[in-house]
Amino acid sequence: MDGDFHRLGHRDFKAVPLGPHGKQCSVEGFCKRFGAYHALSDVSFTLFAGEIAGLIGPNGAGKSTLLECMTGLLPVDAGTISRQGREITLAERRRFLWYQPDDALPFARQRVRAILSFFRRMHGRDGRDFEELVTGLELAPVLAKSLHTLSKGYRRRVLLALALLSRQSLLLLDEPFDGFDLRQSLMVMDLLRRWKKDRTMLLSIHQLSEAEKICDRFLLLDQGRIPAIGTLEELGMQAGLGKRATLEEVFLAFT
Amino acid sequence: MPLPKGSVCLRQARLLLQQEICGLLLAPALWIMLIILSLLVGYSFIQAVDLFSQASRTALSFPEMARGMNPLDGIFVPTFGAYYLAETLLLPFVAIRLIGTDKQSGALKLLLQLPFSPFSLCGLKITAMVLVWLLSLLPAAVVLLQWHLLGGHIFFPEVALLFTGHALYSLTIIAIAMFAATISGSLPTAAMFCLSITLGSWVLDFAATGQGGLLAIIGHFSLAGMLHQFENGLLTTGYVASFLSIALVFFLLSVVWLHPGKRLRNKLAASLLVVAVIASVPALSTFLPGYRDVSENRRHSLNPVDSHALAQLDKPLIITVHLNARDSRLLDLESDMLAKLRRIVPDLQIQYAVDNSTGLFSAGGDDKYGLIEYEYDGHHDESYSNSREEILSIIYKLAGITVVAEPVPNYPGYPLVADAGASRWLFYLVLPLLFLCGGLYSGKRL
Repeated sequence: MDGDFHRLGHRDFKAVPLGPHGKQCSVEGFCKRFGAYHALSDVSFTLFAGEIAGLIGPNGAGKSTLLECMTGLLPVDAGTISRQGREITLAERRRFLWYQPDDALPFARQRVRAILSFFRRMHGRDGRDFEELVTGLELAPVLAKSLHTLSKGYRRRVLLALALLSRQSLLLLDEPFDGFDLRQSLMVMDLLRRWKKDRTMLLSIHQLSEAEKICDRFLLLDQGRIPAIGTLEELGMQAGLGKRATLEEVFLAFT
Repeated sequence: MPLPKGSVCLRQARLLLQQEICGLLLAPALWIMLIILSLLVGYSFIQAVDLFSQASRTALSFPEMARGMNPLDGIFVPTFGAYYLAETLLLPFVAIRLIGTDKQSGALKLLLQLPFSPFSLCGLKITAMVLVWLLSLLPAAVVLLQWHLLGGHIFFPEVALLFTGHALYSLTIIAIAMFAATISGSLPTAAMFCLSITLGSWVLDFAATGQGGLLAIIGHFSLAGMLHQFENGLLTTGYVASFLSIALVFFLLSVVWLHPGKRLRNKLAASLLVVAVIASVPALSTFLPGYRDVSENRRHSLNPVDSHALAQLDKPLIITVHLNARDSRLLDLESDMLAKLRRIVPDLQIQYAVDNSTGLFSAGGDDKYGLIEYEYDGHHDESYSNSREEILSIIYKLAGITVVAEPVPNYPGYPLVADAGASRWLFYLVLPLLFLCGGLYSGKRL
């Protein structure tokens, strides 16, 4: 199974030939300050249609801040986000971008089935999608339980299900593998691949092993700056480590 | 076939409304509040019936006294005092959940990404709270039923006005709580913020009682002061507009401050605009005042012939009162005559010639203390009397008109000797158990 992910992952991803229509969204010059602390400094990058990009960085690098700024849940001090060359407003972002924060516990007193049904119906999904996600994420045993009574692992799975029920073309997931053991992480990766379809995903991940398995491209974020972007091979070359460098080696070289 | 955009929006709005209602029904705070409300309403009702019965025993022998036995003042206003307590002290703890819980749980970040503007989101949340708050009408309905079964008289326009006042007060409290939760980082902070406004208003109203000048005016327009205006059978558009304006201001401020992605300076500018625009609504209503006396004993009205004659006065009528604001004679004069004249006479100027800061017992140095002076069209008259008949005859004499009052049927009064003790089990057991079961059922089914 592990081998499958490598085959589907970054080593087969061809980002370079994509033209302007392949661009899903571009972030230009994002700056965000909290008082004197610079959380983001001139962050710019482009996401391509259909890719799974990994936002990699140590704790406190500004990953969640960047995702919230992209979604519009935090105001940026400077910078724009555009889609197909056109800047998109705060209200417009709701139409093509869905952000799943890692610390949410929505409608915690309600039963998992009711919460999932609410988001399913809100996004106009049918019952088959619901069943498929419940099966894929092994949520059946907890459907009748309240969200706040679940273990961390189940809560994460419910949050992931909520994200995958969305229909937006760009999915921003904050730490989707946090709280999962190896087997669960592999299951989630499989599900993400299956549910990605023609969507683009930006995953904020701090576990490098998981990121290496699933992401096509990597955005390294360190102290609010992006020191490098590219496939693992490209990053290895940029770091002078060669094409066979691991993500861990690249990460240590850049941060 | 894809659904039209409008029907999709409507379906999504209905879904969110259901979700919000479920969230509120699952909150133990709601059911605890309803249980406490049942107990408070029951206690107030039983006490009120007991006192009303005691007064009625004497009144039944004396028709003059019987006319003073009014169920609105004797039963419904004291009973609804329990609602005032619940609305002021308990409702904020439920209403802050509308946004506070979503903020705390991170659900707000998801809700803001759904296809709802902050305005729609806040609108649906406040609608959910209002619908859930309808549950609190159950104890009131039981009171009306019990009073009716005891043989008590109910004049529905008066009671409806009382309900209206509490509905407007509740709406305002909900809007304040919503705003408090929007700008606060935690639920306790939001509760403190909300209670500081509601309790502050309570204290202000208490401090202004029997006072004159600016404090009296501020007290009149405090939340509690405005609610009192709905307890006496007079529907005043100014108070309705004031309640709605305050609720609307806090609702719109919640809309402005809800989205964390908007810049602070934009939020501040929008807040100033909201306050400036909405604050003008009550001010406008003072230029277009509207009153309707819905009391059964017509306590806010003069004889129709007198009202018609006074409305025809085309010159300024100046009344100078030499009474201290805390003097009971002035309080009687205010309620029995001056308030009515203000509503009827087109150009009325009332001047208070006593410095209230000197105190009630220092008035002895004023030779004119107790005097009421009248001036109309260059003519002057004065009197120490505060009786309605004497005042009207002076005004008619100054205006040079003769008015013969029409006979109007006397308010009979509704004394009743009854024992509401038997309804104890209803308020202290059945209703609390019903709400407890409601809470448990919601927990199991939702």
